[in-house]
Amino acid sequence: MIEYETAVGHLDADCFYVSAERVRDAFLRDKPVGVLGNQGACVIAKSYEMKAAGVATGVPIWEALVKCPDGIYVKRDFRWYEVLSRAMLELMRVVSPQVEYYSIDEFFFQASVPRGGSFQKLAESIRDLIWERVKVPVTVGIARTRTLAKLISDAAKPFGALAVLDREAETKLLADRPVTEITGIAGRRAKRLAVWNIATCLDLARADRRLVRSLLTASGETLWWELNGDPAQPIHTQRPAHKALSRGGSFGETTDDPTVLHAWLVRNLERLIEELEYHAVLAGRLTVWVSYKNGQVGVGQTSLTVPSDRFDMLLDAARPCLRNAWVPRVAATRMHLIAEHLTPRAEAPLGLFDRPDPRLETLARVKRAVNARHGRFVLRSAATLPLASIYKDVANGYDICDVRGKICF
Amino acid sequence: MCMGIAMAWSELPAGLIERHALERRAHDRGGEREVRFLYRDRSPRLPIWRDGRLQIVRWGNRDGRSRFLPGTGWTWQATIEEGAWRNLDAQPVDIPANLALERGVWFRVTQGLRGLLVPDEHGAAVVYVICEPASHYYRVMTRSSRMPLLIEERI
Ligand SMILES: [Mg+2]
Repeated sequence: MIEYETAVGHLDADCFYVSAERVRDAFLRDKPVGVLGNQGACVIAKSYEMKAAGVATGVPIWEALVKCPDGIYVKRDFRWYEVLSRAMLELMRVVSPQVEYYSIDEFFFQASVPRGGSFQKLAESIRDLIWERVKVPVTVGIARTRTLAKLISDAAKPFGALAVLDREAETKLLADRPVTEITGIAGRRAKRLAVWNIATCLDLARADRRLVRSLLTASGETLWWELNGDPAQPIHTQRPAHKALSRGGSFGETTDDPTVLHAWLVRNLERLIEELEYHAVLAGRLTVWVSYKNGQVGVGQTSLTVPSDRFDMLLDAARPCLRNAWVPRVAATRMHLIAEHLTPRAEAPLGLFDRPDPRLETLARVKRAVNARHGRFVLRSAATLPLASIYKDVANGYDICDVRGKICF
Repeated sequence: MCMGIAMAWSELPAGLIERHALERRAHDRGGEREVRFLYRDRSPRLPIWRDGRLQIVRWGNRDGRSRFLPGTGWTWQATIEEGAWRNLDAQPVDIPANLALERGVWFRVTQGLRGLLVPDEHGAAVVYVICEPASHYYRVMTRSSRMPLLIEERI
């Protein structure tokens, strides 16, 4: 019997949305390309050529134009990105018995080679396989733990393949990377570490474990174990059940019109209900979160007396939340609607006074059936009429959050 | 409103490049050569497909060379439908393009733009870019309220 050695791999597509556009459009190759999100307002992905011109992810388009006047801007298309994402996922499931669908373009996987085999060759072969079959450039990192594998793939970009398993090379890598390169360490957490002179990944790995725990809580301690080569974070081959579901995003154009805000609330609610139905859960608490151009944030929250996935009940609950989150005469930029305290539909207790209303249940069923057959949002609340131009654009009918099964956003 | 287009150098016949001295409109983008047809150019021109051939014609009438044609480079689709161009012997044409430009934003176009070709009083061909009200996305991206009518796509 062959004996295997195992390690953890991380695969990350290089400038994925741009690479995905290049798969179907060779004209875009080698040129500075930006993919626009938020209804055309922001650069959500940029090619390495555009990055070289100084454009960062997330900047507004008018800022990108100044830095990269020759940039080519294309509209995002999550349906297409999902097709390529799933093609990569399928290939990964062929090369590894354990694959985590982490995000639309990132996978963690169990890497195994026959004893004495080369993890470096494995990393290269996976990168080449994805390139050959899907035509998307990716970088693969292999190490003793997830955290190390991700640090390695970040360091090896673009189109890289790197396995680092010997301790000396590992130490050198950790010494070269600032601690902020670790996912989950930024801002306040980084500042707390800086006080103790923890600046590099190696500093963190060498720090006292109890100190790290006191500074960064249990999740920080997990990172400490991981940096020291002890796999503390498993590979999730299935997405754990959601604690919260949310829908929302940028308006593209700001608005201070309460009718338009209400229309966005209804749009987000209809999208949220699709999600509740898909996961067969009922919402016990709703939060409406609105951010404004002047930096203000408004929040409204309510608990439902009876958990629900019904449009009328959730809208009755969400309206006062919007009123609380609303700042009159200030331009709002984005909204999120969050459902928490989720109970599986099958286990939901029926209150004494809330027997299901057959008329409204039927209405919900008809709405679902019509939309399943004729297209998403074909049948929707008339309160969304102020957003007619949003619905007219098919690209708005499918978002990154609609790509199901991945662990992170 | 569309202030210009770009076409890959490799897609233009050598004879056409020479005849219209397109060399001076050439630029490099990411290592590939292209020809930019800009409205702000001293002599604005656009490529069109006519009788199965690629031609270069005058874009609009900004310089007032024609006394009766409108002094712009665009026309609304609705204006055409209302019949405003009916007596001018106008005909629809395709304007091939790889990219189009609006307020500094170059965006990808797969085939090209729709145009309206009219002869001026001397019989010379003049093309106008056909526009429609901008979609939400286009308005956010370019801050323009009108957008060019594209061939078999809408952004
Ligand atoms: Mg990536």
